Amino acid sequence: MTSIHTKVGSGMWRNATGDADDTRRRDEVARPGEVWAQATAAFNQWVAGDPLGLDELVRVMTPVLWHVVRAYRLEPDAAEDVIQTTWLAMVRKSSSILEPAAVGGWLTTTARREAWRVAGAAARATPVEDEELAVHVPSQRSAESSAVEQDENNRLWAAVDALPGRCRRLLRIVAFEDRPDYASLASDLDMPIGSIGPTRGRCLAKLRVALMQAVPEGDR
Amino acid sequence: MSEMSREDLLNVVRTIWTERDPVPDGLVARMQAAAAMAGSDLDVELMLLVERSTELVGARGSATTSYTLRFVHGDTDLLLRIAADGGESRVDGWIVPPEPMTVRAIPADGNPYAAVVSETGRFELTGLPTGLMRLRLEPHDPDRPAFATPTFEI
Repeated sequence: MTSIHTKVGSGMWRNATGDADDTRRRDEVARPGEVWAQATAAFNQWVAGDPLGLDELVRVMTPVLWHVVRAYRLEPDAAEDVIQTTWLAMVRKSSSILEPAAVGGWLTTTARREAWRVAGAAARATPVEDEELAVHVPSQRSAESSAVEQDENNRLWAAVDALPGRCRRLLRIVAFEDRPDYASLASDLDMPIGSIGPTRGRCLAKLRVALMQAVPEGDR
Repeated sequence: MSEMSREDLLNVVRTIWTERDPVPDGLVARMQAAAAMAGSDLDVELMLLVERSTELVGARGSATTSYTLRFVHGDTDLLLRIAADGGESRVDGWIVPPEPMTVRAIPADGNPYAAVVSETGRFELTGLPTGLMRLRLEPHDPDRPAFATPTFEI
């Protein structure tokens, strides 16, 4: 049962090139509110006739879509297909985006819908256990970072790994989205709509406790 | 011991996933290429201005100026009645034949405004700035490309 693990590991570093990507990786940790504002400005630029706006919109939102879609346990190639479908839908159906401030939400909702559909089809063919995505996947950055950082990361990862699979997925989506729509989240994650808020609260509480146990106070 | 806030916790989650399952190299560039290719199929065609009339509307003593513009593109006729009052303007539009569309008013500087065409082909855009402006019409039928008016001045 190591197939997922191996594929994630090998797919991650194809065409590894270096510096430019390091910069991008730091960018994508920006808070969703900032990312959404950049997306809105880029969308406005694009509909005003500047193709660079579309480039910029894709640049700022693709990392968000990656994390949201991967929370559905799709393999990298399937995740990329879902993201591409989402972009093509946005270009062709831009007329349905009346409120430029909502473009980020439109994209993530569309991507989640498509991910849910594809993941459902894949799950019927090859069931994938949550735990397989939870295995420790070493990253290139980790290898380059100091032993102390590495140790810190390992403890943070262990804390997240200790969460139930549903918590991990829900928190990953919530962390990268700006105020996700609970109705579509509920149907996508197969949870009652009223339970999303409380579940998110419980998952955050579990993570808080796990982090307190995993990371010495001075390091936090 | 200070308790981590919700935002702190979500930031930890973002950091961890960014480290552990980073965006594949080249993904952004591939998506930019795919989106640009899809976007270039939809190059916006310009409508043709066929009629222009100016009138001074003195109703109830207001100093509103208004005029009408008529544009055509293929079988679509677009009639605009434009009213400016001080620094603000509004556009009332009619599309013939009526077709489900999103209409965006794109000021030369500032953000676009959007409206949806009603079943009878009417739309209105209010609270617009004055100055140079153009309208972009996006049919809801994805097989119908968007088209736009040339720039006009309000």
